[in-house]
Parts: sequence; structure tokens; C-alpha cells
Amino acid sequence: MDAIASGALVTLTELNQSSAYLKQGASLRVTGKLVDYNLVTAMAVIVDSDSSIQVDTSLLTIHFRVGSLYQFIGELNIEPNGEGTLRARVGRIVDGLDMNLYQQSLQLLREHLPELALAHNP
Amino acid sequence: MDVTRRSHAKLLALDLLSLSTSRGCFYRGEMLVSRVETVGVVVSRSVKPGKLLFVVDDGTGCIPCVIWLNHETSPYYAKHSLPSVRVKAQLSRDFASLAQLGVVARVRGEVKGYKGSNEITVSDVVLETDPNAQLLHWVECVQLARNCYNKLSKNGV
Repeated sequence: MDAIASGALVTLTELNQSSAYLKQGASLRVTGKLVDYNLVTAMAVIVDSDSSIQVDTSLLTIHFRVGSLYQFIGELNIEPNGEGTLRARVGRIVDGLDMNLYQQSLQLLREHLPELALAHNP
Repeated sequence: MDVTRRSHAKLLALDLLSLSTSRGCFYRGEMLVSRVETVGVVVSRSVKPGKLLFVVDDGTGCIPCVIWLNHETSPYYAKHSLPSVRVKAQLSRDFASLAQLGVVARVRGEVKGYKGSNEITVSDVVLETDPNAQLLHWVECVQLARNCYNKLSKNGV
């Protein structure tokens, strides 16, 4: 199987103009509440805190419900106006996900990854 | 102490993919690792003759997994009793049907090497429907690495 890029864990608040994650083609995993969904264009908008992102869901066959929490993994497409659209290759509803715990777990993971690098290359 | 040989080590993908090999065995530092457990999203799935290949993304990397489906034709199982082979074959087919695109799965199995990369030869698959299961796995991996595996990795098992 061809190598698949892992979706980097990133919050929507981190996806800003100066963010290191805002790169054309970057593989990301994003989580947010669905606030808008266009059946014709298959474009969804998810929000987390004060940040939002458009998600192209044309490849997905999941059911969409405004107000529910969703998580998508896909590649970022940067529009000419600088805004990013995520083209999702997988997605799932994550109602019940504790977003505070998610943020804390993410932070813990990021603190741990350099420790891992050291464990394998002492 | 044989604990790491018999238990499934909970490893982040980055950790699992970085395991070193020596004489067919896998090591995390000095710690021998043979069985592993991961939790992540199934992001790729490919049915091949006699096997299912799929990839699990846990947020730190993508782990290739294989479920063998050739029990009834494999010469390895020819010496086993037919009813037990059929049970194993049905179990494998059941696990394969669980590993669909987009689901979060808890995958356990033996770590193997294939074409220079580490992968899991799957022994069982469980669907995780609780969205917090992924977070729990991350936290468990971190805690185990810090409190157990790092110590075993230094002292050896």
C-alpha cells in the first residue's frame, strides 16, 4: 500500500495565518462543531472556540447533523485569499468527546513526543 | 521477567514505527517488544488475495496492519484440526469486517517487519465507539512509556 500521511493533531485555533500547520497539502486531523452544511457543494463548516474551517466532505458517506461534533482527517488546500479548506478523506461524529480533555491530552502528547525521540536515539 | 513478551505493549504509532530489530526480534531500547496494541482511525483499507491490509492513524503516525484470511489454504494450518482452523478463519473474517474506513479501532497483534517498515499482524480488532477512547489511549501510552517502558528500555527484560 502507498504510504499514507498521518493527520497531524491540530486545533482550529492553531490554524491561523501565522501557524506552521497552514501549509498547502498538509495532512491534518481537526475537530469541531458542525454549524453549516451545504448538501449541493458538500461543504461543511466546523467551529471550535472562535475559530472555524471549511471542510470538503465530497469523499465521505457519513451522515451530517448541524450541532454535532465532528472529527475529520484530510489534506489542507490553501485558497488564493489565504483561507484553508480541508479535503476530508475520513470523518466521524464525535458527540460526547470531552473537548477540554482533548486539549489537555493533545498538550500531554506534544510534551511526550520529544521524550520518545530521545528514547529511540539516546 | 517475561512480562513484555506476553502482554500487548500500548504504543503510540511513532513509538511502534521506531522499534529497532535484531535477529528477528523488536526492541524499544533494551526492552523486547513482541505484542502491541494501538487505537486509531482506519484511514486506508485494501483487500488482497488471502489478506486484508489496512492502516491505523493514531495522530502520531500511520501503522500498517494485516489480517490474514488464508487459513483454509495456507500450508501452515494444514497440520491443525479443521474445526479449529475454521474457527480461526471465521474470527479473522469478522475482524476484517470491523476494520472499515473511518472507524476508530483498537487493534492488537504481533509486530512484524515488512520491506523495512514495522507493521502489526493482527490478532484482534475491537471497535471503539466512545470518542474519548482515543484520548485514553494517548494518556495510557504516555504514562506507560514514562513509568514502565522507559525503565525497562534502559534495564532490559
